[in-house]
Amino acid sequence: MSADTPALQLRALRKHFGRPAVDGLDLSVRRGELYALLGPNGAGKTTTLRMVTGLLAPDEGSVEVLGIDLARDPAAAKRHMAYLPDDPMLYGKLKPPEYLEFVAGLWGLRPEEAEPRGRHLLDWLDLSKHAHEVTEGFSRGMKQKLALAGALIHEPQLLILDEPLTGLDAAAARQVKDLLLSHVAGGGTVILTTHILEVAERLAQRIGIIRQGRLIAEGTLAELRERTLGGSLEDVFLQLTEQA
Amino acid sequence: MKAAPGSALWLLGHELRLAWYNSAVSGGKRRPGIASIIVWIVGWTAMHALAYALLHGLGKHPVDRALLGMLAGLVLLVLSTFMLSGALKACTLALFERGDLDLLLSSPLPSRSIFAVRLLGVAASSAVLFLFLFTPFAHVALFMGWPGWLAIYPTIAALAIVIACAAMLLTLALVRVFGARRTRVLAQVLAAVAGALLFLLSQSFNLIFRGDDRALAQSARGLIEHGPLAPGSPLWLPGRAALGEPVPLLVLAALALAAYALTVARTHRFFVKGLQQAAGIGHVAPRPAGAVRFRFRRSLFDTVVVKEWRLIARDPHLISQVLLQVVYLVPLLFLILRSGDAAGPAIGAGLTLLCSSLTASLAWIVISAEDAPDLLLSAPAAMRTIRLAKLAAATMLPLLVVALPLLWMIVHGPLAGLMVAFTVSGAVLSAGLIVLWVGRPAPRSNFKARGKENFLSSMLELAATLSWGGLAWSLVSLATAPADWVLVAAAGALAGAAITLGLAWLFRRERA
Repeated sequence: MSADTPALQLRALRKHFGRPAVDGLDLSVRRGELYALLGPNGAGKTTTLRMVTGLLAPDEGSVEVLGIDLARDPAAAKRHMAYLPDDPMLYGKLKPPEYLEFVAGLWGLRPEEAEPRGRHLLDWLDLSKHAHEVTEGFSRGMKQKLALAGALIHEPQLLILDEPLTGLDAAAARQVKDLLLSHVAGGGTVILTTHILEVAERLAQRIGIIRQGRLIAEGTLAELRERTLGGSLEDVFLQLTEQA
Repeated sequence: MKAAPGSALWLLGHELRLAWYNSAVSGGKRRPGIASIIVWIVGWTAMHALAYALLHGLGKHPVDRALLGMLAGLVLLVLSTFMLSGALKACTLALFERGDLDLLLSSPLPSRSIFAVRLLGVAASSAVLFLFLFTPFAHVALFMGWPGWLAIYPTIAALAIVIACAAMLLTLALVRVFGARRTRVLAQVLAAVAGALLFLLSQSFNLIFRGDDRALAQSARGLIEHGPLAPGSPLWLPGRAALGEPVPLLVLAALALAAYALTVARTHRFFVKGLQQAAGIGHVAPRPAGAVRFRFRRSLFDTVVVKEWRLIARDPHLISQVLLQVVYLVPLLFLILRSGDAAGPAIGAGLTLLCSSLTASLAWIVISAEDAPDLLLSAPAAMRTIRLAKLAAATMLPLLVVALPLLWMIVHGPLAGLMVAFTVSGAVLSAGLIVLWVGRPAPRSNFKARGKENFLSSMLELAATLSWGGLAWSLVSLATAPADWVLVAAAGALAGAAITLGLAWLFRRERA
């Protein structure tokens, strides 16, 4: 894998559910960047992410994760990825350490690697004091943080998050944002979708806007402003999605 | 006439409407389908036919009224155990599972009205099945000139109210003593034991009298002639009420009214407290940091098995289901230990049937009710290993439960014991494979309704259970007293088990 190999490369990706949900999407996300994928409701963001993470099979097109073709070698591609959907993938009857043990087992981590990471993540995300509670009693923010700990325990190079800040209070949202920035600072790549445009505006190095399953604009916020009448990302987003 | 919004009557209407939507008759829909209506009409007609056949016989050979009252009382006593089981489950549901009480209690409705209506709802849900089963007798009796039997309606209603009150008081007492978290499990276990009470009682008589029918009959006669089972005993009051005797009917109705009024008046505040405790389920006092303990495992297989066992151990519905199976197993174990030498065909069949149905329940939880399927799919782990581990997690528990009795049987009657070990293993594996192949993903909360949601899987599970049970019976019979027709039966049962498994393989679902 060369240094130029993108973290994620999508080529002519298509998926139909009666109507096209993703319609020939081409996308390239560089390594070490935080990329925000934006779009109105039903634009195909979640469908795209589910195809990237192997949860949905594309009708056409290809997905490459760090140069590895997802269709040819799914296990190798998934090994470098973590996915955090908007509804955290937790087990209500498991306690946080038990959940991390399970996720570490799925990613084949050795116990001696997993234990310090698990301990660090629980401490860092302020979940250690809840280590003896089952997660069904957790608040939305605590669930999201635990799912994030699960996503990070195998130190993925590509972190994919679907609406990671939905329902979080200010403190939890700040913690998650700091965590994403620190992941990118450490050389990791983050792709996220969000409806909170201020988050994308403040965090993302590049922004992609999709509508009806197609990429209609892509670039830094400054580049997107140049293509429109300028203003905040919200102004830019509304102009682009209404123009298309 | 429409009840005023916010009144207790209006709330009762809402409660009954919800009960109707959730009932087996409506099939979970607002309006029942034609097929559902036809099935229920045919069922009810058949019940009328059965009632006619029985009452016609009674008309030809009249029975002494006191004896008839005792018989009716016995039936109602049996019915009460099932009613108590249903009422305990309904109370658990009302306190811990239904999400609408927060809305109701945050409204300006008095908590007393909410509790009164909810208690009536529990009584109605406990009574409805028994009204369906027993009211045909009232209709047929009226047709035959015994209008007194119409008292079956108020008798069942009164009995349901008394039992609903008892179940609610018991559940609230459990909350007070053990707390909401433990009560959720305890009430489920009590419901299971109440449902099996009759079976346990019958087995206890068998054990006490060791199969000596004469001693059993003599003891029963003593109890009926001079003891607590004498014809004038209050135990037979519901039976006499159901046959239309005015005084017992009035006593029962007064008892139901008093129980209802007292329960509502004295415990509605504690009901609210119970709900507040239930809302705190899942919250545990934080422990000091640094006490976190991990047990990471090297193998994916072990990781999955441990995770599944943890989830099973923390599921109150499953615990009650497993305990119910174990409750049925206990008398079988006594029989095994008592028989001393070899296993009898009934014991072999019983163990096989129990293990098969237990495995099917566990496999449904472990395989079909996976909480985070996307997590498994997005992981680089081999799905084959995960499925194998899930199958192992579901099958190992029933095998562990019967390991000791099986060992005892093999030691005391090697051939018969080995036959039972074979059929138990086959039944357990078949049940697991059927769920693995034809099971459909479903949320864990659908545990009780899983049979309705996947008809094919339920039918295949039933066929496999019966085939393996039949095979166990035949093989143990062959091992103890060989006969040609038993050999044919064994071959038929084995073919049935193989065909069922083959069908499950043919209809297996494509997985991602």
